[in-house]
Amino acid sequence: MKLTIGHLYPDLLNLYGDRGNIQCLMKRCQWRGIEAETVEFRIEDRIDFSELDIVLLGGGSDREQKLVCEKLQTIQKDFKAYVEDNGVVIAVCGGYQLLGNYYKTGSDFMEGLKLVDLYTEQGDGRLIDNVVIKSDLFDRPVVGFENHGGRTYIKKNKALGKVLYGFGNDGKSDEEGVVYKNVIGTYLHGPLLPKNPHVADYLIRNALERQTGQKISLEPLDDRQEIEANQYIIDRFVKSSGKGK
Amino acid sequence: MKIRRLLAVWTSKIIGTACRLTGRQGVTLAGQLAIRIYPGILKELSQEVREKIFVVCGTNGKTTTNNLLCSAIEAEGKKVVCNHTGSNMINGVVSAFVLSTKLNGKLDADYACIEIDEASTVRILPHFAPDYMVLTNLFRDQLDRYGEIDITMDLLRKAMDMAPEMTVIVNGDDSLSAYLAMESNNDYRTYGIGGQVIEEEDTREIREGQFCKRCGEKLSYHFYHYSQLGDYECPNCGFKRPPLDFDAKNIEVGSRLSFEIEGKRISAGYRGFYNVYNILAAYAACRCAGMEVKNFQKMLDEFNPQNGRMENFRIGDTDVILNLAKNPAGFNQNISAVIQDESLKDLIIVINDNDQDGIDISWLWDVDFDRFKDANVNSITVSGLRCQDMRLRLKYVDIPSRLDSSVEGAIRERLENGIGNLYVLVNYTALFSTRNVLKKMEEEKI
Ligand SMILES: [Zn+2]
Repeated sequence: MKLTIGHLYPDLLNLYGDRGNIQCLMKRCQWRGIEAETVEFRIEDRIDFSELDIVLLGGGSDREQKLVCEKLQTIQKDFKAYVEDNGVVIAVCGGYQLLGNYYKTGSDFMEGLKLVDLYTEQGDGRLIDNVVIKSDLFDRPVVGFENHGGRTYIKKNKALGKVLYGFGNDGKSDEEGVVYKNVIGTYLHGPLLPKNPHVADYLIRNALERQTGQKISLEPLDDRQEIEANQYIIDRFVKSSGKGK
Repeated sequence: MKIRRLLAVWTSKIIGTACRLTGRQGVTLAGQLAIRIYPGILKELSQEVREKIFVVCGTNGKTTTNNLLCSAIEAEGKKVVCNHTGSNMINGVVSAFVLSTKLNGKLDADYACIEIDEASTVRILPHFAPDYMVLTNLFRDQLDRYGEIDITMDLLRKAMDMAPEMTVIVNGDDSLSAYLAMESNNDYRTYGIGGQVIEEEDTREIREGQFCKRCGEKLSYHFYHYSQLGDYECPNCGFKRPPLDFDAKNIEVGSRLSFEIEGKRISAGYRGFYNVYNILAAYAACRCAGMEVKNFQKMLDEFNPQNGRMENFRIGDTDVILNLAKNPAGFNQNISAVIQDESLKDLIIVINDNDQDGIDISWLWDVDFDRFKDANVNSITVSGLRCQDMRLRLKYVDIPSRLDSSVEGAIRERLENGIGNLYVLVNYTALFSTRNVLKKMEEEKI
């Protein structure tokens, strides 16, 4: 068993400590004796999705996101086929917006990848805060930090979770993120995975099951420090004051 | 002398003194009152400066550079107005001037050295016309980082336009700062490190200015010093590092820093490669203003870094070094400085997420903490509001750490059970409280 993680364009999409997500996936494989490798793709590289088990798409500034978006159009078909074939994708912040049909700002219209039927429009002001959500995929809440000007509308898709603290997709629906097949899109960074080992393991397990065609149960790890860090955010924000700012 | 101006000066002086007596930083309040009582105060007082006015801007190194510059000018026997404490928004600047006046409300100063927060430049510059702006560097900062560098650059561009007579003294090794100076209508002079100093490290450091600000192409580098500082060139439009007017040569880093500038060797007794830039910036600023700086080395020998910038404490048998590290570029440089001290040491890292720190601490994952494995570290203790995050950050590079959310508790424990060489690295809001704790302990043990 070997997992290959494709990190898309870390030289452009590198806001918000996305490297931490990669580090977390790699370590949690290594600690279990699962061989894992990360391949970083630059904007000029060709991507062979058939060699990838997990794809990570991070966030960047608007200018950089636009560059990536133009580039991604050329591989849209391959990427779409990977998603429909249950390929695992974790898309954060700008990467989440890129999954959808489009991102519309006051002055600009950015064509999306159309991997998931959702869209994003710029709203008044940025939504910036710590976030806690409850997802029915996991027993433990998912915690993180959000900072986005776009409001994302996921139509009939399933949200990643309900907002317990913070803003979420659009600041109104009380929903955060999206789940479609083995794709998770979310505004949560911080980075997302180290304080949410349950989400990291969910991605690893799905990738292994897809690769092997078998049910996989991952060897448990000593996650006391991860859980304490996760619980700290819940205790500080959810129990004290209810909804976000 | 207008009576309101005198009233403004006296009121602030009283507030400033009272606050110092009660141990609080009354600087901001004093300035706020002065400008409220007499709005023209900054303009008038700054016009009474007999020779030149310097302002110092940039993401990292402002306070150290400004204090070095002030000390260098004082070493030439001049009187200087300076906002030493790093209160760098308008109230802090006003208060620096007001608190330097005599009782008759007149300023008695040859020079002014004023550190200004980049975002405040456009508000402060209309009040006075600086002769020189020192621009140290532009890094991605800790605050909500979305598009922040672009916003900062726009503000600095406006500030330069407001003061067309001002000469910009810029770090030429930073493509972002150099771009601003080169594209402005202001005269500019450059300082930097012309040759390669450090062998290319295997670093995954995020480099902010990798793209050409003029045309958007990816810059190519002949070499890096650290972060995005180095010798860069755009393969598309030809934008490149400008020739350096003040080029530091034959650099040595270790327990002492030293380098050659204008044929003289200069050395300083503290660590951190980045301090080469701080010293060089202060030197270049003095020279641009026509000073001979005969006493520069003497000044460096006596210079005691303050305000938690490589500040030394001696508590019982333990040497403590306190240093501010508020963003990835600063933290990576701090790690290098810790590595340069080859002796065994204990380490405390304090991370808060208050408003002034930036409430998003995901930048911790952009720092190359795995390099602590090469730093001969005896122990690492994590503290502050976000100690849990810091502990996890280290866990994922296989570095175990102790956790104590109380800073005072963490320090006391290491003083008792540590090995006598303690580094305390803190981010912004942890700086003042940690410094107070260390001062208190230093006095207790003497
Ligand atoms: Zn160019």
